[in-house]
Amino acid sequence: MATTFPTTPLELLDDPEALTAFWQIYDRNFDRIADHLMKVLSNHAEFASLIDALPPDQMLEQRTAGRERLRAAVVDGHWSQYWNYLHDEGVTYARSGLGFSSWFAAVTAFREPFIEAALDELDITSDMFRRVVLASQAFTDTAMATLGSAYLDEKQRVIEEQQDALRELATPILSLRESLLILPLVGVVDSERARQITDDLLHAVTRDRARVVVVDITGVPAVDSMVANHLIQTTDAARMMGATIVVSGISTENAQTLVRIGVDPNRLNTIADLRGAIEWANQLLDT
Amino acid sequence: MPVPILKQGDVLIVSLQSELADDELERLSSKLSDRVGSDRVTGVVIDVAALDVMDSYATRMFRTMAQVTQLRGATTVMVGIQPDVAVAMVQMGLDLEGAMTALDLEDGLDVLRRDHERSGV
Repeated sequence: MATTFPTTPLELLDDPEALTAFWQIYDRNFDRIADHLMKVLSNHAEFASLIDALPPDQMLEQRTAGRERLRAAVVDGHWSQYWNYLHDEGVTYARSGLGFSSWFAAVTAFREPFIEAALDELDITSDMFRRVVLASQAFTDTAMATLGSAYLDEKQRVIEEQQDALRELATPILSLRESLLILPLVGVVDSERARQITDDLLHAVTRDRARVVVVDITGVPAVDSMVANHLIQTTDAARMMGATIVVSGISTENAQTLVRIGVDPNRLNTIADLRGAIEWANQLLDT
Repeated sequence: MPVPILKQGDVLIVSLQSELADDELERLSSKLSDRVGSDRVTGVVIDVAALDVMDSYATRMFRTMAQVTQLRGATTVMVGIQPDVAVAMVQMGLDLEGAMTALDLEDGLDVLRRDHERSGV
């Protein structure tokens, strides 16, 4: 999945001189700013445990690497490297359960000491001070946007994973006796799921040599024309293969809806309840 | 390459291993009809499990085959239509129109036996 990094705040800045000055002030006051950051985050509910878990030599290593990475970005122009790294970190932290809003605490903890350092070095009334503050804001805004996009990407990935899992859960095809399968449908059936169900059902017919499949739709809240058409298609395809499909569990409401939308009842084998459908199936098989 | 037609009891069995061209289908139909007479069988099983695709011509041909053999005194059952083929046929609106189908060879023979018993011949 391609992600375009929102570098717009930084691109909109268009003030390389101020950006360089921002970097220089940060670099000159690096330890002071980093120490403050560490102190604040150690007292932060969510960051504290992450920091405690990090051995000091690794922490130092990360600090140094981060510093070098930013230098390479500002001075040598390796910005995509910087944002890529931040994006990946974001994904890792999202997975670890760190809330996105916690990052605002980190940004504040950076801004405070940085502004102080800038005040030490520059005259507050000077134009350069104003420009440096704007540059630092563009930087932190872009960082937050990158982290945000990382969190969204991760959430999206989890959602897709769960959807796949749901789809697999959703169509258990059960063997009741030889030549008889039951497929209890539960929940909302969208067209992707309907297509999947048809596929699974027909392949099960071949695999299990089933001559009758009872599809129970008691658990499907709303049967619309899309679902009805899929059931009809599946019934036709199964008949062509030499198997019969019986649909059970159509509620009065659903039946009325189907008639209203013009579904021909002769295109489906239907029966109100599951028990009736199984009895019917048994009779058919035992003939 | 002619398609082999096997005899098992009162039934002729044809197992298609690959798609047949239109003229080959026609020849098969004639041959089956001839054999129904010469071998005096009451049933025909056409196994299409190896086919990935069945177009409108093939569908019409099989329907015709079933009707012709019927007139010659035998019931035809088509077996082994694959799920994807069945779905494609339904979507294209192709219909076997009452020609009998069954899951596989065993099922097909079973269907023919019951049909034969029912007809009391």
